Amino acid sequence: MPDRSLPAEHWTDRLQRFDRRWLFLLMGLAIVVPLIFPIGLPIKPTPMTKAAFNAVEELHAGDVVLISLDLDPASTPELEPYYRSVVLQLKRKGVKIVVVSTWYQSPPLMERWIREAIDAPLAPPGTEGYSGAPDRAYKKNVDYVYLGFREGKEATILRMGNDLRGTFDGHANDGTPLDQIPMMNGVKQLKDFKLLVLVSAGFPGAKEYVQNVQARYDLHMVASCTAVSTTDLTPYFQTGQLEGLVGGLAAAAEYETLVGMRGTATAGADVLNVGHLVVIFAIVFGNVIYLIGRRNARKRGAA
Amino acid sequence: MKKLAPLALGVMVGLYATAEFYIPDWHVRALTSELQSWAAVIAAFAYVLGGVNLIQVNYPKIKRRERDWGYKVVMVVSAIVMLIAGIKWHKAFTAAPGGMVATATGGLPGKARVVIDAPDDVMVKVGAASAAPARVAGKAFELDVDPGKVSVRVYRRIGGFDEFTTELELQAGQIATVKADPAMLWGTQGRVYVWLYDHVFAPCNATMFALLAFFVVSAAFRAFRMRNLEATLLLGSAIIVLLACAPIGGAISDDLLDLKQWILDIPNNAGRRAIMMGAAIGAITTSLRIILGLERSHMGAD
Repeated sequence: MPDRSLPAEHWTDRLQRFDRRWLFLLMGLAIVVPLIFPIGLPIKPTPMTKAAFNAVEELHAGDVVLISLDLDPASTPELEPYYRSVVLQLKRKGVKIVVVSTWYQSPPLMERWIREAIDAPLAPPGTEGYSGAPDRAYKKNVDYVYLGFREGKEATILRMGNDLRGTFDGHANDGTPLDQIPMMNGVKQLKDFKLLVLVSAGFPGAKEYVQNVQARYDLHMVASCTAVSTTDLTPYFQTGQLEGLVGGLAAAAEYETLVGMRGTATAGADVLNVGHLVVIFAIVFGNVIYLIGRRNARKRGAA
Repeated sequence: MKKLAPLALGVMVGLYATAEFYIPDWHVRALTSELQSWAAVIAAFAYVLGGVNLIQVNYPKIKRRERDWGYKVVMVVSAIVMLIAGIKWHKAFTAAPGGMVATATGGLPGKARVVIDAPDDVMVKVGAASAAPARVAGKAFELDVDPGKVSVRVYRRIGGFDEFTTELELQAGQIATVKADPAMLWGTQGRVYVWLYDHVFAPCNATMFALLAFFVVSAAFRAFRMRNLEATLLLGSAIIVLLACAPIGGAISDDLLDLKQWILDIPNNAGRRAIMMGAAIGAITTSLRIILGLERSHMGAD
């Protein structure tokens, strides 16, 4: 028999204890369904993304840029699309590339990325859906140099600013002396790079590059970060210390649009559309229940 | 002396690190570079201490079969396996060359021929030609090239193996047979390490991050409440930024994008700057206390 002495439970109270696994299921569907049935809403590049694109567009053939891949596999979905887009943009302009990392989790991942995006062409002639200039396979120690990973976090960034060759013992990761690599002539410090492209998932990353070496050596930098780090880095974009910022998957999709090569970020943009709507639904639904429940509690209190 | 020496060292290095910022001289730069390399060595040595600490903390708990001891076994075994996989054993035990080249005469007139004798799962790149499998249906890769210098790269499709590269100087009518079987590497670029990284570490790492989407939606439902004016403002901003951070925001209205940018540029940046400046002042204060010897907790003293 139900206890009649207790007031009947209001429906909002029952909904407050709503089994959250239904929300997990809804979020799961929001991720999977758009991948199977794409919506394909138009992607409009924002000023921060356009600025990052324009900073790379201003480079000339033969310029040398540094790409710092400070990330781990968890951030791959958000950061790899930007990496591939910017590498395509650099390669089709004939810009030379130096790759480093300050993250110990990064080397096997970035070695695969180098094999797939730098060693091999990303958009050879005849690539479907791509109308830009084709790129070519870059040759190791001729068109690009892989310096590898160095431990030391901010100390490593500081040392690269002061003495890049010393930081890597004067050798590329495959043991080739940097003095024997023609594209490294005149590249001794970070300020010798025309641009620093920071693909950054957290600490140390773009923020530490800005704080430790940007102002000191007056470096030109653009950065890509995960969506959660975007608000951390926007102050540096506003001050001009970062010339462009590509924050999260949505901005990576914008970058793909600017480069003209649709990739995984463009496909993932639909997931963002639906996923964000599910989060907004959860916020609104939760608050509607909360407000009705609060009003009901007041009424009961008044009675 | 045990306390004074590290204190004096800290004061000296701290003062130097501050002063060198204002001294644009190459002697100072060289000394700074040396100190920074020491910092990197110290940071790298922390991994050794970390490894010792891992055993010290977990071994007694495993021995006593404390709660969750099974997970600790997995952690310690994983660390040991990665340590073993990360050592370059191939440098200690194998000295065989990665490949060899033999030349003979024959082939098309006015042309030279490159023949690759390698296993099925090997790829070949000769000169500017596209990469191709070394063997298709049992037939070895052959390519007729113009006489002169030609580069040859023989590598496996998957990472973690050695590769053989050579530069051939060929004359017309010459056939160069490149025999190569790229050996498995050990160390951080080796097959075992890369396999463990790709098939164990990467999926686990990505799974942990992916779970955030589900926690966020659950937290949005349960915790994001309009309890007061500040919470309501936060909630409204969150909805605008969430919408505008996906292409659907632009599809709804361009004004929404402008509003999002305003939120990021003005209120967000104002808050961020306040936090950053506060943290920076705190860091300067702590650094000064260490340099002046007032802060000694890093030496194990109060």
